[in-house]
Amino acid sequence: MSFVHQDVWHWQIAAYLFLGGLGGATFAIGAMMHLFEGCDRKVLSIAILSAVGFMGIGTIFLLADMLQPMKAIYALTNPSSWIFWGVIFINVYFIAAIVYVIPLLESWPKLKPIIKKIPEPILGLMEKFNRAAALGGATSGFLVAIYTGLLISAAPAISFWNTPALPLLFVISAFSTGAAFLLLLSTFSKEEKSHEIASKLEQLDAGLIVTELIILGAYFNFAFFLPTGARESAAILFDTPMFVIGFLVMGLIIPLMIETYSIFFAKKSHGSAKLLLTASVLVLTGGFLLRYYVLHAGLYQYPW
Amino acid sequence: MARYAMVMDMRACVGCQACMVACSTENQTPYWSGKFRTHVEENELGQFPDVRRELLPRLCMHCDNTPCLSACPTGSTYKTKDGIIRVNYDRCIGCYACVIACPYDARYPYNSDDVETAYNMYGSDNSHDQPHVDKCSFCEHRVLEGREPGCVSTCPTNARVFGDLDDPNSEVHKLTSRGDARPLRPELGTSPKVFYIPI
Repeated sequence: MSFVHQDVWHWQIAAYLFLGGLGGATFAIGAMMHLFEGCDRKVLSIAILSAVGFMGIGTIFLLADMLQPMKAIYALTNPSSWIFWGVIFINVYFIAAIVYVIPLLESWPKLKPIIKKIPEPILGLMEKFNRAAALGGATSGFLVAIYTGLLISAAPAISFWNTPALPLLFVISAFSTGAAFLLLLSTFSKEEKSHEIASKLEQLDAGLIVTELIILGAYFNFAFFLPTGARESAAILFDTPMFVIGFLVMGLIIPLMIETYSIFFAKKSHGSAKLLLTASVLVLTGGFLLRYYVLHAGLYQYPW
Repeated sequence: MARYAMVMDMRACVGCQACMVACSTENQTPYWSGKFRTHVEENELGQFPDVRRELLPRLCMHCDNTPCLSACPTGSTYKTKDGIIRVNYDRCIGCYACVIACPYDARYPYNSDDVETAYNMYGSDNSHDQPHVDKCSFCEHRVLEGREPGCVSTCPTNARVFGDLDDPNSEVHKLTSRGDARPLRPELGTSPKVFYIPI
């Protein structure tokens, strides 16, 4: 029995998994806040455009890692492959995002003349289906986030990945990074309502980090008790300072402490905005590190 | 319609690696990058002074339940009517999902540098004209002509036996049905069609 590092998916795929999850979750949380709470349309339009940008850059990373990216359309052939579903989710996401964001951009006076160039019937349809697009984009964003975990869990010989915990971990982590990104955006907003939204986001993110810690605990407990490559992978991760300090401590525990402090003790001020900014950046960095090191720790268990 | 399989007699393998050379020549695999469709693993077993060496020839297991085929989004990986798992180079996008899914290290990227070297070496006879993920084909082109795969016909010690699992008179059928030859990691449920007679 030998354990061998997978050597085909590197940082580019980690970036794709991170940006796909971030883009999907940012859209989903942003659209939900819009539908249920109502919020600053300008900030929301920046959030949605950023989410689409993350997803776009992530997709570019995926394509750049392929041997034949120009043939990517063939990926819509085999429904038993997770990549097939990933392509569908990402395309639905982009279509829904365009329909959702264009009417939002009318809140920017400088962009209004450009948007008015879109024929009225099309713009009318976009406005009519705005809520449907918000729901469709949020659903496909969620599905993209969970797909990033399902994609790498479909590896029977990589026992650390081949577990139901991984898609859960990735989807919760994606939503945590999405909430952190929106929190980061809200710290730049000068509107009174942004404080209210920021406090909701920090509560959401703190809850998601706690959930992520619980899943991580269960995941590593499971990995350490299996006499397989999963135990080796878990041991590698615990021996990696950038995983333990960079992700676990700096990317989860410290932001959770900052957010807990902010929720219960801080007076809303310029100083607390800086703290939240720090927490958000740490969560985002941690989200990438998690995916990078989980990919790095993927060990095949070969029977020779 | 056959169900082709291979039996490896680990008692007979001497680790000469002639199978690797034969396969590489037959299928133009990029040996210049250290990539082969078949390998011979050398394992040291036991603890001093009770030690021995085990030679384990390996290649694609042409699984009946095929994780690489399920993972391939493009349908580039397909199963022939004879149960051989093949790659259609024209459809492969090189996403590596199959490489990740394969439990037997049977696949590798035939990248653009390899294609260029292959073109320089083989000219118009080059059979790998574009980047793709590559793997063993059980030498289907030879099998369809009634010949054995290159590695089997080359093996000087007859450590490799090839045949139709569904043919009761075939050697592979006899060896596997008697239980002399067993697959690797059967617990994964892949139903591999390469079997091993242990030392």
